[in-house]
Amino acid sequence: MRKPTGIIYGVDEAPPRMVVALSALQQLGVMSIFLIYPVLIGREVDGAPRLVGDLVSMSFLVLGFGALLQALPRGPVGSGFLCQPVPTAIYLVPSLLAARQGGLPLVFGMTAFAGLVEVALSRALRKLRPLFPPEIAGLVVALIGLATGAVAIRATLGVGAPTTPGMSDAVVAAATLGTMVALNVWWGGGLRLICVLIGMIAGYGVTAVLGGFRQADWETLAATPWMTIPRLDHVGWAFDASLVIPFGVAAVAATLKVIGNVTTCQKLNDADWVRADMTSISRGVLADGLTNTLAGALGTGGVNSASAAVGLANATGILSRQVAYALAGLLVFLAFLPKLGVLLFLMPSAVAGPALLFAATFMFVNGLEIMTSRLLDARRTFVIGLAFMCGLAIDFFPGAFAQFPGWVQPVLVSSIVLGPVMALVLNGLFRLGIRKTQKMVLEQAQLDPATIEAFMETSGAEWGARRDVIDRASFNLTQSIETILESCDPQGPLEIEASFDEFNLDLRVSYVGPPLELPDKRPSNEEIMASEEGQRKLAGFMLRRYADRVRATHKAGRSTILFHFDH
Amino acid sequence: MDLREEKVGGVTVVEVKGRIDSTTAPALGARLTASLVAPKVRVLLDLSRLEYISSAGFRILLLAAKRADEAGSRLVLCGVSGKVRQLFDLGGFLDLFTIVGSRDEGIAAAG
Repeated sequence: MRKPTGIIYGVDEAPPRMVVALSALQQLGVMSIFLIYPVLIGREVDGAPRLVGDLVSMSFLVLGFGALLQALPRGPVGSGFLCQPVPTAIYLVPSLLAARQGGLPLVFGMTAFAGLVEVALSRALRKLRPLFPPEIAGLVVALIGLATGAVAIRATLGVGAPTTPGMSDAVVAAATLGTMVALNVWWGGGLRLICVLIGMIAGYGVTAVLGGFRQADWETLAATPWMTIPRLDHVGWAFDASLVIPFGVAAVAATLKVIGNVTTCQKLNDADWVRADMTSISRGVLADGLTNTLAGALGTGGVNSASAAVGLANATGILSRQVAYALAGLLVFLAFLPKLGVLLFLMPSAVAGPALLFAATFMFVNGLEIMTSRLLDARRTFVIGLAFMCGLAIDFFPGAFAQFPGWVQPVLVSSIVLGPVMALVLNGLFRLGIRKTQKMVLEQAQLDPATIEAFMETSGAEWGARRDVIDRASFNLTQSIETILESCDPQGPLEIEASFDEFNLDLRVSYVGPPLELPDKRPSNEEIMASEEGQRKLAGFMLRRYADRVRATHKAGRSTILFHFDH
Repeated sequence: MDLREEKVGGVTVVEVKGRIDSTTAPALGARLTASLVAPKVRVLLDLSRLEYISSAGFRILLLAAKRADEAGSRLVLCGVSGKVRQLFDLGGFLDLFTIVGSRDEGIAAAG
C-alpha cells in the first residue's frame, strides 16, 4: 500500500500523541452537530431536558464503542479505518415515525432491528457486490455530501431557527470557515492538521467577543453536573411490523453509506487503489450493524459511519486509526461528563455549520471521484443521473411527493434514501439484457485496429469495467491478433470472446492454425533486432506479462489463447 | 499513423500521431533511417500523441537507437506517458532509451 501525496499519516501510522489528541478533538467537534438527532428524537416524545441528556449520554457511549469497533484492524469486525459512527439523518425519519407510533421503546426496538438487518447484509455483501458497484457507492457518498452540505448551510443561515441570524453570525461563520480553508490551502505543516479545530476555536472566540452567547446558555452549563453515571431509566423495547420497511430501507441506505465510506478510506490510504476490498467493507458494515444493535439495546437513536469524519480526515491528511482509538476513549469519557456534552451541544450554529460544510465539500468530491472510476455507458449514466436527480427532487420539492401512496412514503423521506434506492432499482433493471459474454468474428479481410478496440471499449462500458483492465485487455487483443496474422498463417476467420463478471475478465482468441509462442522470458535486444522472430517473441512475452494469467491450447488444428484479467 | 517532421535548432523533431503496429512500423523505420543516415545528427522522437505501440514498433525503435549509436548520433524520446509508458515498462524499454518529459526538454537533451 503506497501512501498518496497529501496524506500525512496513513491508517497504520502512529502520529505524535499531541497530533492524535488534537485530531480526535476536531473529529469530535465535527461530530457534535449530529448530536441534534437524538435531541430531536427526545423532543418528539416531549422528553424533559433530563431525558434528552440521557439520550445524548447514551449516544456518546455507543459512539465510543462504535468508533473502536470500526477501527479494529484484525478479527471479524471492523473495517480498520477511521470512519466512526455518528447519529444519522438516515435513521432519523423512521425514528420520528416510531416515536410517534410507539414512543421511545419502539424507536429502540426498531433501531436494534435495523442493526440486525445491517449485520445480515454484511454477511451477503460479497454475493451482492454486482448490485452495489462503485458508481452506486460513489452516488451515496456524493448525495450524503450534498445532504450534509445542506444541513450545514441550513445551520449557518439559521433556516427554521427561532431567531434570524444577524451580521454578527455572518462574521462568526466567515471567520470559522475562512480560518479552516486558509489553513488547509495555504498553510503547510502542523496547522493544516488541526485546521478545523482552530477554525472552531476561532468561531467560539469571535462569538464570545461579539456577545453571541446567551445568559441562558451559561446557566444551562452551570446547572449541569460535572460527572454522572449515564442512566437507563428510559430504556425499553418494542417491535412493530409496519415499520419494517422504513427501517429496512434505512438499513440498506446505511449499508451503502458504509460501503462508500470504507471505499473512500481504502482509496485515500492507497495511491495504487484500483478496486474495493470487500473483506474490509463487510467487516465495516458488520461493525456498523452491531453498533446500531447496541444503540437500540442501550436506548438511543440509530447511528451510521460518518462521511464527515472521512471528509475531515481527507482534508487534514490524518487517517491514522490511533485517532479513532483516542476518539473512542474521549467519547466514552464524555458519556460520564454531561457538562462537556452540553458545551458541545451549545456550539453556535455559525460555528458548527461551517465546520460541517468544510467536511461536506470533501465528501461530495470524493463521491464524484468514486462514481467516475468505472467506464460509464448509457445504462450507467442513466442509473447515476436519474437516481441523483430523483434524490435531489425530494430535497427541492418535498411537497410534490406527498400524494404518493403510503407504502412508498418511507422511501421518499430524503435524497439519501431515495437516491440509493432508485440507483439499486435502476441498476437491477438495466442489468437485464447485458450479455456477460460478447463475441466477435473477424474476417481477415476486415481486420481493423479501430474495430478491435471498439469491441473492448463498448463491452467494457456496458459491463462498467475498470478503465485500466479494459486498456490491458484491448492491448492484448490487438497485439495477439497482429502477431497471429504475421506468424501463424490462420485459416479462416478469428473468433473473439470476452466474458465478464465483477471479479474476472476473460478474453479468448481462437483460430485455425499453429499456436502462438508465449515465452515467459524476454528475448534479448539483439534477438528482437535480428529478425521478426525476435519481435514475435517480444510480443508473446508482453502478452503473457500484461495478463494476470495466460493459457494457450491447440486441439484438432485450432489454437486458442485465453487471457485472464483480475477485476 | 501520421508523421510530422520539423527542424528546431539543430534537432530533427519527428512527431508520431496514432498507432505504431506491424502495418505502420516500416514507414516510421524508413523515416528514422532517413533522419539518422548522416553521422552525428540529433533526432527527437515526440510520442506525446502516440496511442498504441506494438512489438513491431519497439523493434523499429531499437534498430533506430542502434543506428544512432553506431553513427555517433543522438536519439531522444519525449512525451512517453499513460498507456504508452506502461507498454514501454512492460517490454522493459524504459531504461533502454533516453526518455524525457516535454518536447522542450527533449530538444535540450538532444542538443
